[in-house]
Amino acid sequence: MSSAVQPRKLATRRWLHLGLTEKQALFGYAILFPTLAILFLFRFLPMIDAFAISFTKYDLIHPAQFIGLGNFIDLIQDPLFRNSARVSLIYVVFSVLPVWPLSLGLAVLFNRSLFLKDLLRSSVFMPVVMPAVVMAVVWTFMYQQDGVLNTVLGWVGIDPIPWLRSSSTALPAVILIGIWRATPYYMVIFLAGLQAIPAEYYEAAEIDGASRWSTFKDITLPLLKPTTLLVMVMTVIVAMKVFAVPMIMTQGGPSDATRVLPLFIYQTAFEFFDMGRAAAMSVFLFVAVMLFSVAQIRIFTRGED
Amino acid sequence: MSRSQKYSAVLLAGAAMLYLQAAFGAPPAAPAAMPTEKTTIEIWWHEYGPMTAYLKELIQEYKQVRPNVTVNTTITSSADINQKISVALATGTGPDIMDNDASFYSLYYSKGVLEPLNLTVFGAKSYPDFIARYTPGGLDAATFDGKVYALPYQGNSMSLFINNKEFRAAGLDPKKDAPRTWDDMMKLGPKLKITQGNRTVQKAFDFPYHSNRWEVQDFQPLTEQFGGKLLSDDGKTAYLNSPAAVKALTLWRDVTKVTGDPRTTMNTSSNPNQDFVDGRTAMYITGPWATPQVQQSAAVGSDFTVVSLPQVDPAKPHTLVYGWMWGVNKAKPEAEKAAAWDFIRFMLAKPEVWLDKVGFVQPVKGVEQSSVAREFPFFDVHMKDVSTGSWYIRSEFTNEITQSLGRAIERVVYDGADPKASLDQAQTEAERVLNKK
Amino acid sequence: MPDDLTALHAIQSNRPPRAEESLPHRAMRHRGDVLAYVLVLGAVAISLLPYYWMVSSSLRTMENMFRVPIQWIPDPVNWRSYVLAWHAQNFTRYFFNSGLVAVAITAGNLLLCSLAGYSLAKFRYFGRGVLFILILSTMMLPLEVTMVPLFLIIKQFDWANTYQGLIVPFLVDGFGVFLMRQYMLGIPRDLIDSARIDGASEFKIFWQIVLPLCKPALVALGVFTFREAWDMYIWPLIIVSKDSLRTLPLAISLFMSSYGTAWDQLMAIAVLGTLPMIILFFVLQRAFIQGIAVSGLKE
Repeated sequence: MSSAVQPRKLATRRWLHLGLTEKQALFGYAILFPTLAILFLFRFLPMIDAFAISFTKYDLIHPAQFIGLGNFIDLIQDPLFRNSARVSLIYVVFSVLPVWPLSLGLAVLFNRSLFLKDLLRSSVFMPVVMPAVVMAVVWTFMYQQDGVLNTVLGWVGIDPIPWLRSSSTALPAVILIGIWRATPYYMVIFLAGLQAIPAEYYEAAEIDGASRWSTFKDITLPLLKPTTLLVMVMTVIVAMKVFAVPMIMTQGGPSDATRVLPLFIYQTAFEFFDMGRAAAMSVFLFVAVMLFSVAQIRIFTRGED
Repeated sequence: MSRSQKYSAVLLAGAAMLYLQAAFGAPPAAPAAMPTEKTTIEIWWHEYGPMTAYLKELIQEYKQVRPNVTVNTTITSSADINQKISVALATGTGPDIMDNDASFYSLYYSKGVLEPLNLTVFGAKSYPDFIARYTPGGLDAATFDGKVYALPYQGNSMSLFINNKEFRAAGLDPKKDAPRTWDDMMKLGPKLKITQGNRTVQKAFDFPYHSNRWEVQDFQPLTEQFGGKLLSDDGKTAYLNSPAAVKALTLWRDVTKVTGDPRTTMNTSSNPNQDFVDGRTAMYITGPWATPQVQQSAAVGSDFTVVSLPQVDPAKPHTLVYGWMWGVNKAKPEAEKAAAWDFIRFMLAKPEVWLDKVGFVQPVKGVEQSSVAREFPFFDVHMKDVSTGSWYIRSEFTNEITQSLGRAIERVVYDGADPKASLDQAQTEAERVLNKK
Repeated sequence: MPDDLTALHAIQSNRPPRAEESLPHRAMRHRGDVLAYVLVLGAVAISLLPYYWMVSSSLRTMENMFRVPIQWIPDPVNWRSYVLAWHAQNFTRYFFNSGLVAVAITAGNLLLCSLAGYSLAKFRYFGRGVLFILILSTMMLPLEVTMVPLFLIIKQFDWANTYQGLIVPFLVDGFGVFLMRQYMLGIPRDLIDSARIDGASEFKIFWQIVLPLCKPALVALGVFTFREAWDMYIWPLIIVSKDSLRTLPLAISLFMSSYGTAWDQLMAIAVLGTLPMIILFFVLQRAFIQGIAVSGLKE
């Protein structure tokens, strides 16, 4: 990563560093400390607490009673939990997978010189800026039977879709919102990745007579790997935590079609007064997110230096 | 702190007793002796325009009556109040007076967070004596083991609202042709349901779909009309797939096919009556509190009729009563609790004003004689439905059971599932929850 | 592997996009350009449709709100919805609260995350890797589960219904640390080392050399954090019971709750609630987009 330095200079620097190492380490610790303190007190401790609660029966009112793995065993056998996990999985897969080609495609489009490019790019970015509560309300309005979306579909001859009023279309409706919001954000990341690819690579390919598609496939895509990895990991983490939109739009319905895991956790804790169970569910969630992230990192960095 | 707590509690109780002996049955007046301790109580309620306005008035008035009591308020949306109260109870920061749907109170009672009604403050000799002030069954949802633990500020019926204009447009008379049975309802379907191509422009009637609770509010009386019961009285056994329930769900599906279209509803939790108020449906089941909203709407105005909930057998009517109640937090100091019950008493002292300003019916005796009641549109119908109504199911697991039933109904209506199979699934889910503890 | 430094400089200096083509090529690609432009316009339309609907609904009268077929352009224009909505509740206060909390949280994050990122990227000490992973892990649990224990902690400090209670738990976030660290990995060591040799204090190096180099990432983090803080819903719901501390999302939720919600007023409030974010974004857009972009180059 650092530029080439002559061996003698390097040795001198290393020598100087040795003497200062401890001082620097202390400084490093010192400036990290406030962050650690706040995160420890307000994130880590509650997190540990939540994990601890998962081994108890806790109804929010009486003291918690230790029940070991009881919650976990019960959850694995509970069809409602399995359904919720399934809904979350579907949501994650179908909101993450399309985002990648869509945002990459948009980035490719924006990589050209276009008339009014800055204005267009900012406009495309707008979905990222809308607050979640507002988003839920406006889209509910747009999803109504005679609303905007069905009207637009009608222009191309498609019959009105019941959207939130049918258990088969409600989850796609929510997923659509997720895609709408995520695509522009990741487009920008891909755009930067594209612009970072040195022109020489493309020029060489052109000299070799490569087609645009094979240029894209063999040069662009592989060079975008680290960017793609970042995008995938981030989208998965965000998708697994989605809560506000299903909560406000459908409360998990109709007939459980949109009851993603965070929503189910919330209901279990605050409507069923079963905090132990809710905590156990979030342990599952946490582990799933960790596994997803680690797996993706493994897959993408395999065979790299 | 504890000695002055006890001191103020005694003072308050004494003052209350003196006051009530002097003014038994009369509207609230200046008490005979004021307690000297300053007390602060907190009340939380869910936002509902007319109610918030009236409660704020009442708080101002209470200041005159009891200058030493400060009432702090927190208002949240009805969707949020559950969570807020739950977290508050969990962390010991709850209010003195809590507000929630009656079906939550079984849960609260089972968790031991409720303070029994303060008989002294209300000037009653015993709980049966107090219960007698209400209409028969009026306090069923608030009574546990013979004691009263909460007070409903609304005990609403669910009756059938009719859009007169749309009836007349179909050549029907709102009074004579109003459906008395569900068979009548189905016959009216083709006459009032208007479609254009594959669009439903006007519905004859539709059940609610914007929340599980509302779905069960309609489903419960239907089941009872077929002679069944959803839950045992102690709330520990469920009969969600009884033959009566299956018949009820089948009827629900058959009626909906002919009269309604769930896809076109604009109802939401905060606007449960939107379809009716906009004229999108000719008939809808809702409570008396919808009256002011309907009257102020452009599409309906005062041109509506209310009739009793349609029945399977008009000779044996079954309707529903539901409502929101005030409860007092047991964990608070004694002085605050006494003040809390006193404030509740003060708030509920004029049921006719509640009716006038908010449209809420309290299931208390004597309301129907007031002039407000006599002028309230179709008050006799609402009261009749209250008198034949049983309270919304109550159990420690009301929320889980409500959701299971809601899902079962939605499976049948949205996915075309078989009613018996769907309810079997709901029953399995309910049993899982009920047998856990 | 692209040279990170080159990319860094390229984007910071706003060099024209690599795909700039020479004139003859441009003529040949004309048809492709048109197609691309059409697609881009389509994407813009999709991105802006909900915004259009939100704004036009706020200006539509209630009679026309649910008309079929829908009324795309409001006529007559209902200007009163904004006035009515604003006066219906104490929105000035709610805006102020949201603003104060968002600014405080953003400032805190900018400072603490850059300090932490700097530490994790440029210093070596025992346990550095583990600490980084632990910090990352705090991002992976939904707030719904940690909020009860968190509230208990806040209660210990007696911070319920206070600004501190709203702000302090979120003064730093794992994501911000991640972002800053990734960005700072790309800052050449030589820069820092030569400053050290020149005798500059560590803090001076951070403040006068490193931080200015991070402007794009700081802007990105700032806008992102501001958005999250402005949007916060569940946490204020729990710890705020006084009206004077209510934040805007709570107010919007409450507004939806009053019976017979006037959709025009609700949309008006939605527009007003989104406006600060839109303004912030337009003012800072170039730096913001660069910041996200460059942070995405490191992994």
